[in-house]
Amino acid sequence: MNKWNIGLIAVVVGIALFLSTRPAAQVQDMQAGFLSLLSPFFRTGTAVQEQLGSVGAGLKTLDQLEKENVTLLEENRVLLTTNNLLREIEGENNQLRQALAYRERSVFKLLPARIIARDASTWWNTVTINRGFADGIETDQPVLTEIGLVGKTTTVGKNETKVLLLTDETCRVGARIEGTKEQGIVSGIRVQSQRSTGELHLNFLTKNAPVEPSQKVYSAGVANGVFPSGILIGTVVEFRPRALDGQAVLEPAVDLSKIEDVFVILGAK
Amino acid sequence: MKNTIGLAIFCVVLFVLLLMQSFIPPIRFLEGARLLLVPALFCYAALTLPYPAMLAAALVTGFLCDVAYVHVVGGQVEIAVGWSIIYFVILGSIASGFRPEMSRGRWWPVIPLSIVGTSCFLLLQFVMISVRREGFFFSPETAWRILVPGLLAGPFAMLVHFVVSFFNQLFWPRATQRHSAAARSY
Repeated sequence: MNKWNIGLIAVVVGIALFLSTRPAAQVQDMQAGFLSLLSPFFRTGTAVQEQLGSVGAGLKTLDQLEKENVTLLEENRVLLTTNNLLREIEGENNQLRQALAYRERSVFKLLPARIIARDASTWWNTVTINRGFADGIETDQPVLTEIGLVGKTTTVGKNETKVLLLTDETCRVGARIEGTKEQGIVSGIRVQSQRSTGELHLNFLTKNAPVEPSQKVYSAGVANGVFPSGILIGTVVEFRPRALDGQAVLEPAVDLSKIEDVFVILGAK
Repeated sequence: MKNTIGLAIFCVVLFVLLLMQSFIPPIRFLEGARLLLVPALFCYAALTLPYPAMLAAALVTGFLCDVAYVHVVGGQVEIAVGWSIIYFVILGSIASGFRPEMSRGRWWPVIPLSIVGTSCFLLLQFVMISVRREGFFFSPETAWRILVPGLLAGPFAMLVHFVVSFFNQLFWPRATQRHSAAARSY
């Protein structure tokens, strides 16, 4: 090997070492820049995939469309009315909570977003959505659907954001089991089996916790935590008493392999 | 000049493959294993490009792989950016040892190199994650996800070779004829 090649190896290894010492914020900036570069291709690819998938399936007659439109308008009116009524009740509830010196329940602003890419990595469970800091998204904001919790935001680009899914081992959520006083921490597992919709573990329960299959698990809303309380996480499938504590195996409420549209909780209004 | 064009084409194809991988879903009947095409492409480049160009390819491949898949949670980077560059420099240096075979028209080294290179890349990632998360466990799914992408990378590398040979013949027919004659005489 000649001197030139040795020198070049030293330069390349030096660059690698320099990059490895970069702080997390700088790494996220680099990733956000790369996401921005890929974003137009992701959007086009997703649009093409949708077009291909909807050929034939989306074709409807004018009569069918008219009927569907009437039904949707009616449903929209019902939902608007219910929403207004609930807002009144919410205001009343907060007034009563204030009167009882309770902390006021905050109302969150939801930002709709669409999944434009799924992570191609083998060991991490993430997706990319079509909203970024230009829409008000920040790191560590909860992501959900109308059914339940999906995950949280990690790297935020201008018009795209990486979302860490609930099924990832590094996504941890404080949780409580419906109908009990049991609380624990939900996390995904390192290598998810493909036979199911995903598996979650609820750890640090008491050893003899009265937990039964099909009980629902909600986020507990830890102080200064990422996730607000009361969001459905999943359903208990099995309870395993261990030497020091108990562990519940959960099935996620949301099928994370099939979701296309999500909401990001932006914060208190 | 030809090497510079080769390196530029490699960078474009690498970018396209990184994009393509995002649209290829995991293979459910193979325990969710994924098609990982980048190491196989790099192995082919390392077998055909001269050493300095291979180092440039390793730098680009490693950096793009790391930036595309880096996992940052709670203000911490799980696997440091830059490790892939070192991995690809090592893999490329091993592959460069087989360049004389490649120049004689024997392209078989690309298959075992792609298989081993892809699986080792995933195995190293898994080991680093396990060290970081302070807990080792190995399940049959883990083995599938490490071995299957490697086995799929072998045929992909062959495909890359045939596509490159086809275009070589199309754009540089004389060079290809000289190359074939050299291979026969050997």
